[in-house]
Order: sequence, then C-alpha cells, then structure tokens
Amino acid sequence: MTSARLLESWRVAGLLFLLTTGGCLDQMPGKPNPASRPKLPSEQTDFQVLFARSCSGCHGADGKLGPAPPLNDPLFLAIVPDEVLLDVITRGRRGTPMPAFDRRLSGTLTAEQIQILAEGLKTHFKPTLAGGDAPPYTGELSTQPSAEQIARGEKLFASACAACHGDSGQGSGDEDTAPGRVNDPALLSLFSNQALRRIIITGRPDLGMPNFAETDGRDSDFKPLTSEEIDDLVALLAHWRGRPQQVASNMGPGE
Amino acid sequence: MNARLRQIGTWIDRRLGVRDLLAHTVLHPIPRELESPMGWWYVFGSASLTFLLLQILSGVGLALVYVPSADQAYESLLYLDYEHPLGWFLRALHYYAGSGMVVMVLVHMTQVFLQGGHKYPRELTWCVGVVLLLCVLGMFFSGQILRWDPDAYWGLAVAGSMAGRVPIIGPDVVHVLLGAETIGAAALSRFFALHVFVIPGALLFFLAIHLWLVLRCGVSAPPVPGQIVDRATYDRDYAESLKRGVPFFGDAFWRDALVSALAVIVVVVIAAVLGPKGPTDPPDPTLGGANPRPEWPFLWLFALLSLSPREAETFIILVFPLLVIGVMFAVPFISNRGERAPSRRPVAVLSVILIYTTLGVLTYLGFTAPWSPRMEAWTADPVPVEIVKRSTVPQLVGGSVFQYKNCRNCHALDGVGGRRGPDLTSVGTRLTRDQLIMQVSNGTPGGGLMPAYGKQISPAELSMLVDFLVSLRPEGQPAAGWATPGPSLGAQQAAEPTYAKQLPPPDAS
Repeated sequence: MTSARLLESWRVAGLLFLLTTGGCLDQMPGKPNPASRPKLPSEQTDFQVLFARSCSGCHGADGKLGPAPPLNDPLFLAIVPDEVLLDVITRGRRGTPMPAFDRRLSGTLTAEQIQILAEGLKTHFKPTLAGGDAPPYTGELSTQPSAEQIARGEKLFASACAACHGDSGQGSGDEDTAPGRVNDPALLSLFSNQALRRIIITGRPDLGMPNFAETDGRDSDFKPLTSEEIDDLVALLAHWRGRPQQVASNMGPGE
Repeated sequence: MNARLRQIGTWIDRRLGVRDLLAHTVLHPIPRELESPMGWWYVFGSASLTFLLLQILSGVGLALVYVPSADQAYESLLYLDYEHPLGWFLRALHYYAGSGMVVMVLVHMTQVFLQGGHKYPRELTWCVGVVLLLCVLGMFFSGQILRWDPDAYWGLAVAGSMAGRVPIIGPDVVHVLLGAETIGAAALSRFFALHVFVIPGALLFFLAIHLWLVLRCGVSAPPVPGQIVDRATYDRDYAESLKRGVPFFGDAFWRDALVSALAVIVVVVIAAVLGPKGPTDPPDPTLGGANPRPEWPFLWLFALLSLSPREAETFIILVFPLLVIGVMFAVPFISNRGERAPSRRPVAVLSVILIYTTLGVLTYLGFTAPWSPRMEAWTADPVPVEIVKRSTVPQLVGGSVFQYKNCRNCHALDGVGGRRGPDLTSVGTRLTRDQLIMQVSNGTPGGGLMPAYGKQISPAELSMLVDFLVSLRPEGQPAAGWATPGPSLGAQQAAEPTYAKQLPPPDAS
C-alpha cells in the first residue's frame, strides 16, 4: 500500500470516527446524571437518600429486617402521631440505641431534613389499618403498677406471648427458632415503656412476631389485646425490668 | 490553487529555511532491524507524545471555562459537567488521557530498560526521560488539586504537612507551595500556575531535549543476545548499521501512528463510558466525610505510608522518594555496557517483575485502603438480613447497640462496613463471651488499634452487644470455647474460667 493511499484510508477512518462519536456522545453512560450532582449533606432533601444514610443501618435497607423495630410497618405508621415521629428523630430515645439526629444535639441532620424523614416515612411506606381499628399509640403507663395489674399482665402473657417467649419470659428451649428471653433486666433497661407498647401492638411482621390481634401461634380463643391489656403487659415487663420506668443510661451521644 | 500554495510555501521557506530540517528529521535513518516485528516494541514513546498533544488540546479547552479561584473553581467544574455541551466529556478525556500518558510513559521506560536502550551512548536520553516522568507525575498531582473538592484540598493538606517536614527550609517550602501557612485561595492560584505554565513549560523544554537526543544518538537497534555494548566499537558499528538503515517515515512511522490512534480510541471510549472524575462534595472544610487520598499514580506511596510504622514516616516522606529518583537517574551509569537482550539480563528482568508486583500490590491496598474507618457505616450500612432473621430479642438489641456505638465504622459484617478492624461475621467462633467482654471494655491490649469502650458503654448495652457478637457464627458452627488442659482436651464443651461463672450466661433460663 502506498503512503498516499494509506493516508487516505486513515483520513476516512478518522472522519467516520469523529462523526459516530460526536453524534452519540451525549447518550454515553459517562455523561453525568443531573440527579447525582453533588450537594452538601445538609442540602440533601431526597427522602430515600436521607433514609439510606441515616436510618438503614439499624432499621434495615427497606425499613424492615434490621435489628431495630421496623419503620416500614403499615400498622405502626397508621397509629404513630406525626409529632412523635418528629420528636423521636430529633431527640432520639434516651437510654436506647436510638440517637438524636438533630444537628443541635450533635446529630447530622437539619430540622428540615428531619421533617422530610418524618413525613416521608408515611408517604413512602404506606400506613394501613388492616382490621380497621387498633389500640392508640400511647397508653396509660402508670408510674407504680399495682400487684393486681402485674398479675393481670402475667395471665395475659401466658395466653398471648408465652408460646414463643416462655412461661415467664425466659425464652423457649430451641435456640435456633426461639425469639429468646425477654425477662432480662439488662435487655428491658434498653427499652422505654412506650417502645414496649409499640412492639406489643405492631409485633414484628418482618420477623414473624404477631401484632396485637393476630392469632399465629396463639390459642384459638385468643381475642385482640385491648389498650388496657397492653398497659398490663407493659406493667409486667416493667416489673421484670426491676424499675417501673426506664432510666436513661446517660451513656449515649446527644444527651 | 495547489500551485499558489506551493509558491507561498517556497517564499516562506526561502526565508525560514526549515524544509531541510524537517525532511532530515522525518527521513532520518533508523536501523533496518526495526522493520521486523521487533519494531512494534518502539511505539510507546510516540503514544505518550500523542497523549501529550491530546492533553494540551483538552487542557486548553478546559481552561476556557475553568475559573481558578477558590470560590468559583468548584462551580465551574459543575458547570462543565452538567451544563456546558460535552464539557463532561472534555473533563473525562483530560483525566483518562492523562492517566494514559502515565501508563504509556511507564511502559515506554520499562521497554527501554528491558531492552537495554538506556546503555551507552543513550544515558542522557534516559535521564531526561526520568525528568519527563517526574513532570508528568507533577502534572497529575497539580491537576488533582484544581478539582478543589474536599479530597483535593485535604490531599494538599497532607502534601503540605509532608513538605513541612523538610529540615530547616520546611516552613518556607510550605509557604512557597501554598502561598500561605494554610490552604486557601492562594494555594489554588499557585497550583493553577504550576499546572498550566510551570510544569508544562518544563515538560515541553525537556521533551525537546529528549527528542533531539533521540535524533542525535539514534534509535537503538533491537537487542540481540550476545551482541555486547562496548564503548570502543559501538559508535562505529551503529554508524555502519545506519548505512543499511531505513527512513523513519515508513513502517516505523505508520506503526507509531496506528498504535497512537488505537490508544486515543481506547481513551475516548473509556472517557465516554466512565465519565468525568469528581468533583466530589462541595468545598466546605467543616464537612467530616472527606476522604483525602491521592490520585492512582501515588496510591502506592499512600499505602506504603499508611502501613509503615510511625518511626519510618519521615524516612519514607523525605528520603525514600529522593532515593527512588536517584536510583532511576543512576540506572544507565550502573549498567552502561554489556548485554542488552533481556534473556541475558536476569537481574534486570527480576527487578522489573519485583518493582511492578510491589507497586501493584501497594496500589491495590491504597485503592481499597482497608485501614480507613467508614464514618457513615453505623447509620448507612444495614445489618445483614440473614443475621437479623436468626437473632433472638437480646441479640437484636445487641445488633442495634453494635450500630449505635459505631462498631460498624471499623468492623464489617459480611464484608460491608469499615475494614480497620477484623470482619466480625464469624467472631463467635473465635472469641468466647468473656474474651469479647474484655476486648470491648479494654480495647486491644497494650494500646493497640481498638480503643477501650468500657467507659462509653453501659453494662446493659455491653451485655446485649456481647450476646449479639457471640451469635455471629456460620450455621452449625459451635461457639468458641476454652480448651481444657490435660486428657479431656478432645471434649466438645470446654471448661469456662471461674470469673465467667459470675456473669449471667448468654441464654440463662
């Protein structure tokens, strides 16, 4: 091939290359997506990004199947008041592994971002009341439960909880399938009475724990727990804890 | 038309007189052996040169938009990435062609070294080549600073601290580099000047010398085992071989052109697919999540520094680079004559293998940086679902404590999370309950990596946390136990030490 002809073919190839690349460069995967334009963390207003960065570590990637109680739980979202969500994200729950997220309490989020999270929980994970009715989120948590109330709680525990948690909350024999002990003072000291009430009402649908009304694993004559009955159960758990109210461990940040 | 142009050309050249020089350059003879397939080894230098041209063109394009001021540099890069037509592509091209240039220069140097091209009489060509390598690396470093994101200026902070360690003149060096004692607007202006005037100027100057030396000393013929470089006879033999030589503008030129074109196509495709690098978060020194680490050509040094004991730091920062550069300059004087063929130079071949293996491993380590905690892991990395599903209530609470107390920032679960400490996915098979309590409360014995958490964690939290950790083991694997001394060593359930009995067992009934 002579130099001139070679040069000619190079010229044609180069021209073709320029035409093809120039035309479709705008469709190439390397083009930055405007949605991923960098922002200051405090300017981030996307619920999903905020949730992934701040909540998924404990509450699970999709708001369930994390070690902490699920947020992606229709029943929970149906009964929890908006101001409670806002307050718990802002201040955390003292003495539990739920930290304060407000920047002013050495958290990482602005008030606006906390608002987005609190509202977003209810719009992204749909709240539904399956049975139509449920006990209110907050109950009458007496500061000094009577022996009577504790006795009522024990009776309820035997019918509603003992099948999985053991007769006196010690856990059942088979370690692989049992949910383990719930009568441990150390364990209970990391739960507020309100958190205990919430778990009894909503159960843990992601891990197979039935809610206040479901009959799975319970006696056939089991009736949905009433608000007062749930108070009695909480009183029993508080009795096991050794303290009627949870005392903050004053060990966490933001306190 | 053509005749008219030719006339103008002749008019100019009668006054300028470059036609002969150009013809001489393009048609200079090279050894005939380069027409063999061995000639394909000689293409990397010109590929580096092609990338340099690409860098100049794309760099000029970027400079038309980039604003080298501390308050607008970052914004102008975002404008290029998201608004200016094909601005993102220009940035990507500049980055990947620059990377390609480093690669090509290294390949070129390696080829020259392996085939003994640095030996007599081309020592100076090699030394100027080393200067060119340093210029290219300087371009890479100064270019990274111009991104002016947290990685850039914290990276510069590291470089500044390093320079500050130079004895006596350290503070002055820092001042000259940064224009102040700390990083600020002046630093960006200085690195812009370095990146577009000073280093390119030096690069072009030394490149001219390099090319002149290539023309003057000639292109070395492919090495032949047994053909010895001897100062007494080399020049005469080489001149003799050039009498049978071929002009550069021929096969050699077309090979260079082909490889350069391929290299450009590869870089264009990579740039179009991977897109521009950075900038990352906006420049705000109060942000805690910055991840300062150097660009890839320096990752090996970053890894070496991170992995070395503290006492070696100053040596690695100040003496080691000078040593490496000194050795590179000394190469053509250490092995100046003798065999050129790699098959007869086992030390040279082994050195190359050793150097690239070391660089490769260190670069990989620098890339993964397993020694850096992941500061956002505690809220952002979910506990693996499989672990959650098999956990008891105390273990679930322990899992929350594990996240809440930031354990995850240094300890991964299922490979996700920080990697400063060991992955704890199966820690239950390695440590007993008591050992875990000791480890968490007291940290690594003797002031090691892990801090003591005894005062940062309540007894209840510790109890739940350890419940969780003991449960971390693959299905069917027994928990770690204590070996009983004596004949009962084989017993499955080993005895626990006495103090363990005072603590509540994990699943007390």
